[in-house]
Amino acid sequence: MATIQVSEAEKVYIMHGVRDDLRVDGRGCEDYRHMEIETDVVSNTDGSAKVRLGLTDILVGIKAEIGRPRPMAPDEGYLEFFVDCSANATPEFEGRGGEELGMELSNSLYKVFNNRHSVDLRSLSICPGEHCWVLYVDVLLLQCDGNLFDAMSISIKAALFNTRIPRVHISEDEEGGKEIELSDDPYDCMRLNVENVPCIVTLSKIGHRHVVDATLQEKACSVASLLISVTHRGTVTCVRKLGGGSLDPDSIFEMTETGKRVGKILHGPLMELLQKEESLGKERMKVGFLA
Amino acid sequence: MPITEVSSSRQGSRGNGDVRPLFARCGLVSQAKGSAYLEAGNTKVICSVYGPRETERKDETDMKSGRLVCDFRLAPFSCPKRGAWIQSAEERDLSTGLAESMQPGVCLHRYPRAQIDVNVVVLENDGSVLAHAVTCASMALADAGIEMYDTVLGCALRQDGDRCLVDPDLAEEQGSVRESYGENQGRVAVALLPNLNQISGLQADGEMRADTLTAAVRMCVEGCHKLYPVVQQAILRAVKRKAPPPPEK
Amino acid sequence: MAGLELLSDQGYRLDGRKATELRKVQARMGVFAQADGSAYMEQGNTKALAVVYGPHEVRGSRSKSLHDRAVINCQYSMATFSTAERKRRPHGDRKSSEMSLHLKQTFEAAVLTQLYPRSQIDIYVKILQSDGGNYSACVNAATLALVDAGIPMRDYVCACTAGFVEDTPLADLCHAEESGGGTTLSLALLPRSENIALVQMDARLHQDHLPALMEAAMEACKGLSKVLDSVVRQHLQEVSVQTRE
Repeated sequence: MATIQVSEAEKVYIMHGVRDDLRVDGRGCEDYRHMEIETDVVSNTDGSAKVRLGLTDILVGIKAEIGRPRPMAPDEGYLEFFVDCSANATPEFEGRGGEELGMELSNSLYKVFNNRHSVDLRSLSICPGEHCWVLYVDVLLLQCDGNLFDAMSISIKAALFNTRIPRVHISEDEEGGKEIELSDDPYDCMRLNVENVPCIVTLSKIGHRHVVDATLQEKACSVASLLISVTHRGTVTCVRKLGGGSLDPDSIFEMTETGKRVGKILHGPLMELLQKEESLGKERMKVGFLA
Repeated sequence: MPITEVSSSRQGSRGNGDVRPLFARCGLVSQAKGSAYLEAGNTKVICSVYGPRETERKDETDMKSGRLVCDFRLAPFSCPKRGAWIQSAEERDLSTGLAESMQPGVCLHRYPRAQIDVNVVVLENDGSVLAHAVTCASMALADAGIEMYDTVLGCALRQDGDRCLVDPDLAEEQGSVRESYGENQGRVAVALLPNLNQISGLQADGEMRADTLTAAVRMCVEGCHKLYPVVQQAILRAVKRKAPPPPEK
Repeated sequence: MAGLELLSDQGYRLDGRKATELRKVQARMGVFAQADGSAYMEQGNTKALAVVYGPHEVRGSRSKSLHDRAVINCQYSMATFSTAERKRRPHGDRKSSEMSLHLKQTFEAAVLTQLYPRSQIDIYVKILQSDGGNYSACVNAATLALVDAGIPMRDYVCACTAGFVEDTPLADLCHAEESGGGTTLSLALLPRSENIALVQMDARLHQDHLPALMEAAMEACKGLSKVLDSVVRQHLQEVSVQTRE
């Protein structure tokens, strides 16, 4: 992440702005930056999405592979998360430099999806106890400009929406052995219901208020942030305090309330946008990085 | 094991809001600067603190404040299933959780360019390990004479529908797989600075309504306060035993 | 030829190209704002991103710095989802280390490193989608990124692959053609001086065929250099229009 040095005077300026609900870039405390979403950008994945939030650039690719179900849940598939902090984002990530952050981010993603309703895991089952779909969700950080979590969750939701899992037919031969056949027709595929996939809202405490979608400068002024992942119904699937500071209980309750409100508002337009993009069908101009 | 219906018939016959009886002692690892041992029910945690000393990696030296390095380990024999000696992803995640909870409580600006190591080993995992590790680490830091703003206390909670079980044991924490299809299922862990009334660590996962979550956090804060006298007593005992000679000036 | 017929009797390839025809090339410079230079390159279905940082002070140990020229530091990585079969890690395996080294050698030949003594230039390339010719897509993308970063070079570095099937040299191979088992030659060329920055060939080829193969690869590189040149010119025009406003 591009590290940023903020002077005391700048900090005071930002804090006073936040107090008056006017941030340096003209946003209010609960506003997101400009966001661009495009799905289906990498053709050899089963689902992909690219999200740009401010200057934060994230590419998510999802591949479905057949694997063995977990012994604890034989009739379910599962998701695997991997976050690649590439050197593209900053030279600090070269070699093994990005591994630590990548690990932390992917661990948080596991927590966010650690519940029964985010993704219907039972629909990923092929043959209970023997075969299931494993969705490898690979997140690629291309540019970091603050608020990685929110951008990541939005791109994951978009990529899951875009994911098409080929249908399988199980045929049994005489000896009772099962054979899995993938459908040849590329349009014969299964879609995931992404309605319940949560979005992460990260709130950073600045002065006595908290802001949504903090930039790197604002992040430098904040002592602690709260990560809240919220579904479209307002159910909270994960909360985590981040950063080296502490928060008093009342502001945590306030922040949870804000997180829930902002998260709920975020889902509607996102789903609308994804559906609209899909309805364009083949007429859609794919821009990707050529925009 | 299914979570029992009647609140008072919780294992060990305690109420839903009750924490397990706590046993805490400071100073049992003689080679460490400070150490603590904590037992809550069957959960057993040991923590030793080394430092402040020079940082290992010179390029990461901070001129203004010290670094708190936390290392969280689940002993291979601590869980029902044998673990590996090398640190797993889960342990690494717990380490960051521990560091984030401890940092606000330690006066790191008093130790510029230094590093303080906190090593936690869970000897037996019977639920709420992160919460008890936080409490144990804070006792060990106090025993090491590291300056702190306040003790850091941890408390965990398992939300199961409308019931919330404070300080769950392993069976309660994991619940049964089928049951967790219901609503309002989740785990919460809170780290609290009791005198300053600040929450230094908060982790929750599962699926909860916002109001349930708020109530759960409140319950955890209450639970932390229940631990406080025991922890305070243990630290006091350690201080009295060490009874440093008064400064000569 | 086993299995697939790479070249039909009518002289068309699997994807309908003629023998010396290149795949569609699309590129854009200045994709990222934070880096000093960046570029995105599509050669057919192969997609690469290149980012350049520097010239800056040598990071890490000072002993790496050279007193008379800049150090070029390259890292090649592939997105875990870039290949048909998912990769377990993006970089650090033997193949990507080798590729990083090749890129370093290529750009040491092209960048005027002596202008920046005791400094370092980072070139990071990432394959987002792989469909043959990864090395050449990376070189071409990195060239554009270096131009975007304003780092002086002797010339564009253009890279292209060429293969040999049934006595006919094929330019710019796709994945199916590369994995067909035939000869593949990768060439990085400084087109104006016709200097070769890097050439690599594996599998067996009769030496009589080598000049023809080299000729095909060089032609392809020269073709690419025209495309790169037009991309740079267009980018500069866009930027100058923007700054005028």
